[in-house]
Amino acid sequence: MIYYLLPEKYRRWFLLLASYYFYINLKPVYAVLLVAATLVTYFFAILIDKAKADRSRKLLLILDIVITLLPLFFFKYYNFVNTGIYNLLDVAGIRWPLPDISFILPIGISFYTFMALGYVIDVYNKEIESEKNPGIVALFLSFFPIVLSGPIERASNMFSQFKGRLQFDYNKAVKGLQFMLWGYFMKLVVANRIAILVHIIFMEADLRSGSSLLLGVVLYPIQVYADLGGYSLIAIGAAAVMGIDVMQNFNRPFFATSMSQFWRRWHISLISRLTDYIYTPLSFTFRKLAMAGTVIALLLTFLISGLWHGAALTFIFWGLLQGSFLSIEAITYKQRRSLIKKYELAKKRWFIALSCALTYLLFAFSELFCGPVDSIQKGMVIIKKIFWNFRGPLYYGNFSTIAFMILGIFLIFFAEWQMEHNQGRFSLLNNKNWLVRKFSYAFLIIIILLIGVFDGGQFIYFQF
Amino acid sequence: METLEKLTTIFRNVFDDETIVLNDQLTANDIGSWDSLSHMLMINEVEHAFSIKFSLREINKLKNVGALIRLIESKSILIN
Repeated sequence: MIYYLLPEKYRRWFLLLASYYFYINLKPVYAVLLVAATLVTYFFAILIDKAKADRSRKLLLILDIVITLLPLFFFKYYNFVNTGIYNLLDVAGIRWPLPDISFILPIGISFYTFMALGYVIDVYNKEIESEKNPGIVALFLSFFPIVLSGPIERASNMFSQFKGRLQFDYNKAVKGLQFMLWGYFMKLVVANRIAILVHIIFMEADLRSGSSLLLGVVLYPIQVYADLGGYSLIAIGAAAVMGIDVMQNFNRPFFATSMSQFWRRWHISLISRLTDYIYTPLSFTFRKLAMAGTVIALLLTFLISGLWHGAALTFIFWGLLQGSFLSIEAITYKQRRSLIKKYELAKKRWFIALSCALTYLLFAFSELFCGPVDSIQKGMVIIKKIFWNFRGPLYYGNFSTIAFMILGIFLIFFAEWQMEHNQGRFSLLNNKNWLVRKFSYAFLIIIILLIGVFDGGQFIYFQF
Repeated sequence: METLEKLTTIFRNVFDDETIVLNDQLTANDIGSWDSLSHMLMINEVEHAFSIKFSLREINKLKNVGALIRLIESKSILIN
C-alpha cells in the first residue's frame, strides 16, 4: 500500500529499503555479506566494462568469480573440503586437524551469489552494460521476494524493470495474488504435510518395510516440488503485485515424458544458468569428441549442480546420476525416435502416461540422494529393500494425514493436467463463471486455513 | 547456395529429420530435436564440413539459421 502511495520515482528505493529490512530481520550480520557481495559485483562489472584488453577483462572476471565465491565456499564447502583433506592426509600418516566451522549458512547465499556472478559474466560477454547506479545492483541482489530461494533472476530482466515505471497494473496484481494463493496452498497444504510423513519414513529407514520406503521415495519429489515450486510462485506473485515480472521456475515438471524434457521444466532459473555458463562452454570445448563430448559436458555440469545443492558425496552422486540419465537419453535418441515414429507412439495416451511415470520414477529414486539420506550407502540400502524386501506393514501416518495429502496432491495434478492436456478448460480461479471463481477462491483459502500445516513445531511433535 | 545445401544435409542428419527445409528465419524452436545437446553436435559437424572454426562468442550470438549461414560464409571467404 505504502509502495503505491509513494511517488513513482521513490518506489524502487522503498523496495530496496524493504528488502534490506526483510533481510536484516532474518539475521543482521549476514546483511554485511550481502552488502559486500553487492559492492564487489557493482565495481567489478564497471571495471570489466571499462577494460579494453581481453587479457585484463578475463583477469578481472576470474578475480570477481573468486572473491564472490569466497563466502559461499567458506560457509558451504569449508567443512566438506576440510574433512576430505584430513582423511587424505590421514591415509598418508599425517595428522593435520583444522577446526570445523559450524556457522549457519547465510540465508539465500547460494541464490544471490549465483545472480551476482551471472550479472558480471553477462557484462563480460557484452550481453548487457554495467549498471552505474549502485542502488539498482543492490536492489537486484536483495529483492526480497527472490532473495531467499529464487527464482535466480537475470540482471537483463530485472534492471530494466527497476529502472522503468513501477506502476500499479490491476491484471498483473490479480494474477500475482492468484500465484501467491496457489503457492501457499502448495507449500502449506501439500509440502509441509508430506514433509511430516516422508521425514518419519526416512528417519527410521532401517525399521521400515520396502513398501513404506517406496511410499517415501514416490512422495519426496512432490514434497520438493510443492515446497520450492510453491515458494517460487509466492515470490513471483509478490513481485507481480508490485508490478515486477519474475521468471517462471517450474513448468509442470511431472508431465515431462523424458529426463531431458524434465530438466527443461524443473528449477528452470537454475538449469538455464547452468546451461549458459557451464554446459555450453564445456560442450564447446569438447565438441570435437562429438557424442562423448556431450556426455562429458553433461556429467560435469550436473556434478556442479549437485555441489551447488550441497557439500556432500550424496549430492555429487545425485549430479552424476542426472548426468548419466541425460547422457543415455542423448546416446539412444535416434533409436528411440525411430521406434516412436514406427509405431506412432507419440500421440498414444498409454505411451505418454508410461513415459511420464518412468521419468518420474527415475527422478524419484535419484532424488533420494538429494536430501533424504546422508550417505550413498544408506540410499542403496533403501533401494535394495524396496526391490528385494518389499513386504511388511505400510506406514502411512494416520488416516487424516494421508486423506488430506491425497486431496492436496490431486488438486495440484488436476490443475496441471488440465493446463497441460486440456487447454485450461476446467480452470477454476479464472473460470468464466463468476460464481465458480468466487467459490474456488473461498475453497482454496478455507482449505489452506483448515488443513495447512503452519507450525514448524508440528514437525517435531510428530517425531515423538 | 552450396552452403545451404551442405548445411541442409548436416541438419537433416544431426536432427534426424529428412523433412527439414532451411530458411534464414529458422530457429531452434522450429525443430523439435534441436536442443542445447544436439546444437553443439551440429556445430561440430559444420566446422568439420566447411573446415572452419568458431569461437564460443560467435556461437552464442547466433540468432537463427540466416546468421549461421552468414558466419560460415564470412569464414569460408577468409580461408579461400
